[in-house]
Amino acid sequence: MPVHVAGPRLYKSIKFQHLAKGGASSKKNMNIHLNLTPFVDMMTILVTFLLMVFSATGQILQAQKGLELPKADSKDVLQTAPVIVITNHEITYQGQLIATVDSVLHDDSPTLRIDALYERLQEAANHIADDVRIGKLSQNAKKSCDDMKNGLRPPPGAELCPLGLAIVQGDQTTDARLINKIVKTAKDAGFDNLLFAIKNK
Amino acid sequence: MGAAIDTGGGDKKSVNVDINIVPFIDLMSCLTAFLLVTAVWINIAQINIAPKGKNRDQQIKEDEKAILSVLVSDERIYIGATRVSGDDATKTVERGNNRPDEAVWAEYEEDLKKIKGEYFSDRTDIEVAAESHDLHVVKYQDLVSAMDHAIKVGFTDVGLTDPAGLSWRPTL
Repeated sequence: MPVHVAGPRLYKSIKFQHLAKGGASSKKNMNIHLNLTPFVDMMTILVTFLLMVFSATGQILQAQKGLELPKADSKDVLQTAPVIVITNHEITYQGQLIATVDSVLHDDSPTLRIDALYERLQEAANHIADDVRIGKLSQNAKKSCDDMKNGLRPPPGAELCPLGLAIVQGDQTTDARLINKIVKTAKDAGFDNLLFAIKNK
Repeated sequence: MGAAIDTGGGDKKSVNVDINIVPFIDLMSCLTAFLLVTAVWINIAQINIAPKGKNRDQQIKEDEKAILSVLVSDERIYIGATRVSGDDATKTVERGNNRPDEAVWAEYEEDLKKIKGEYFSDRTDIEVAAESHDLHVVKYQDLVSAMDHAIKVGFTDVGLTDPAGLSWRPTL
């Protein structure tokens, strides 16, 4: 192969002097500053927005596949409690499988009780009762428990007493018979104050 | 970012200085990334109910008070009360014939408002049940809507029960 003379090379043969020195007429180098003001403005607005929509309720409930929460207008904030999850196919308690939806729907027991769930809930109720007895509660929860003992209801939005408190996180298409059975089971196990998780409209 | 600082004294000239915004941008970037990762885009709330039989409103004896009941089926919503004379306390909201849900729940809310105004103005308790069968399934969404509208009207003590446990039952 014959050897050729090297062709033109960038910045050697082609100098780009008009870029490097700010135009053909100017001999002075230009300091180019990137304008960061719009970037900082955008970041500030974005951070402000994200801080406003920041919510801690995501820590209480986990998104589940095949679970679309029912919609409602209620604005009461969820609080921490044992969670019973009902998807299209199964019922879980604190992330552990309790029963399948079909088996519960086809169970014609007159007691309307789901035995596996009842045992788990009763265990949890005893554990919560021990916590309340030794005073392992926040000040607001203690006050709510005292009010409950005296037959008083906590004001709207106040932290509820954890005694008998559980969250039901069910899919919006769940058969109401299943909800009845879960509510009955929870009541029998001592959970007589249920929070139905909903999505705001 | 630049700023002009007056040096004071006899010198008339001000000095241009650059404020270093790099740490600020770093902080903002970290905060934005953290908030984006931890953001919860679905606003989850709750409806507080008590299973019937141990309602929170226990001051009034069960056998002495009138009780407002709602039965939700896939074709109708029945509203009625025990120990209340007069037909105004009994209402039926039709759901069939592809009637839109908005119209159904608006009528239900209106009926509840009237009943509360006339008979239950000083009361906040109500009991709700759903009549669901294999061929006529009532969805959880319908039950939640019935409770949600009752709470909006002022019945904040919602008791949930099975249809057999309702104090008042419609004559079907």
